[in-house]
Amino acid sequence: MKYETVIGLEVHVELATKSKIFCSCSAHSFGTEPNMHVCPACCGMPGMLPVVNKRVVDFGMKAGMMLNCHINRVTTFDKKSYYYPDLPAAYQTTQWFAPVAVNGLVEIETSKGKKNVRIKQIHMEEDAGKLVHDIREDTTHVDFNRTSVPLIEIVSQPDLSSAEDVEVYLERLKMLLRYAKVAECEMSHGTMRCDVNLSVRPEGSDKLGVRTEMKNMNSIEAIKRAIEYETARHIDAIENGTEVLVQETRRWDDIKGKSYAMRSKETAGDYRYFPDPNVMPVVIDDQWYETVQESLPEFPEVKKEKYVGYGLSDYDAEQITKSIALCECFEAAYAVCGNAKDAANWMISEIMSILNARKMTYDMLDINGKALGELILLVSSGKVGRANGKKILAEMFEDSSIEPEAYAKANGLIVSNDTSLIEQKVAEAIAADPRAVNDYKNGKEKAIMSIFGRCMKELKGNCDPQVLKTILIEKINSL
Amino acid sequence: MERDTLRRLELLNQLKLTEQQKEDFLCFFDKRMEDFSAIDRIFDTSDVERMVHVMPIMTVVREDEVVKKFDREALQQGAPETDEGYWCVPRVVE
Repeated sequence: MKYETVIGLEVHVELATKSKIFCSCSAHSFGTEPNMHVCPACCGMPGMLPVVNKRVVDFGMKAGMMLNCHINRVTTFDKKSYYYPDLPAAYQTTQWFAPVAVNGLVEIETSKGKKNVRIKQIHMEEDAGKLVHDIREDTTHVDFNRTSVPLIEIVSQPDLSSAEDVEVYLERLKMLLRYAKVAECEMSHGTMRCDVNLSVRPEGSDKLGVRTEMKNMNSIEAIKRAIEYETARHIDAIENGTEVLVQETRRWDDIKGKSYAMRSKETAGDYRYFPDPNVMPVVIDDQWYETVQESLPEFPEVKKEKYVGYGLSDYDAEQITKSIALCECFEAAYAVCGNAKDAANWMISEIMSILNARKMTYDMLDINGKALGELILLVSSGKVGRANGKKILAEMFEDSSIEPEAYAKANGLIVSNDTSLIEQKVAEAIAADPRAVNDYKNGKEKAIMSIFGRCMKELKGNCDPQVLKTILIEKINSL
Repeated sequence: MERDTLRRLELLNQLKLTEQQKEDFLCFFDKRMEDFSAIDRIFDTSDVERMVHVMPIMTVVREDEVVKKFDREALQQGAPETDEGYWCVPRVVE
């Protein structure tokens, strides 16, 4: 019998705000000492009242709009009962009854074609703290730096049916949320985590099988392996009766390549949601809604079409639209240099190569696009040689305030029109390599290149190659 | 209410009830459930919009700014145990 896998995802994304969701503590504590970014509110001390961070609502709305959701104009927070020391108040403030965004749609394209993934809801909530169990045997150490850091949870309908679907869907979410600049979405940094709900049923059946949930997956490769393992485990149980499938939460061990049932204490799923009496309803008026709507970026497909309209190939446009940072840099450079193809070549051949070599994501690009446009103009007009242009670009990666022309002048990288200097360097190079001169004169045309290279090196690349070549040939021929 | 449901509530609320308390709770909950079902019989609320709050009130919001008002030592003064900047609690994993 053939089977199909039915998968729904709950994706937690840490929002890129400066402060926490309900208090003014810093939301960024990576690498800092424990409990340095805490206050009585995020420590759950009695009598403390939460105050909603407006940008969290902005970002929640923005994410909803990017995923084609309906935005609830009156959105409320609820308490989710949760007894565990990583949440000191013994409840999580989240959204249950009126989440900020509902009923969305994300289109994905896999090797099997296009399909829609329905979004059930996006809700805003606070993150939990961090527990450390390996300092002392009898104790758990608690760090509340992460407590109350803002998250959104994106809940999909069970519209995914393979590891490939899930990978493409997650990549699409990342791209859209990064375009909107609401989140970093870096699974390796923990700013995007994923719960996978999975069941298996005979192909064509409309009845769902027994569902298991794998929590807190933090790498796409691990998620793919877990889906393949779970699918095989379910089919084996159905076909061969190897075990009785039960609805449960499981933990994925990526090193052993197996999933394990978690203890029943951790799966007791009655959170007893009720409206949080400490946070009044958030009412999104027309002005607020429209301000957020106007701040939305163009979708990647719209940008791609626009770039093809500038004369770029489909491939080049596709490369640049991989990241909003690349798009912004390209657009600013193009606005200055006026040559889209040139700007795209610099983006793809130079900038993306440097980012790849430095193992940086494209979103980490911090080059001033206007300055890049000026550099492109310097090189295309012949004022700076290509090799020196690359050197200036490398410096711009180190210091984004560099102005290319001023830098080129200050560092002697402007192409020289001083033919007497070129003639002098040519004479020296010829004198230093008589063998190459003889070879050239005896018909080996390529022999001239070693002298050419020596001259270029002496002139530090600040010379029009055509002018140098002409002077060099004239000089050799006159010998 | 079934005894199984009561057992689950005990677990979720981290309570240990005596037999007498269990009997009392079962009796109490049965009566309350009966009261609620009476409300169900009177009102059809299927087309009533959800009330988000009893008062026409909405939250204030704050700007996304970091303000550090408390230091760790002050916050941990009342803690039964701390270690290297952490709060300490009895071990929660085996």
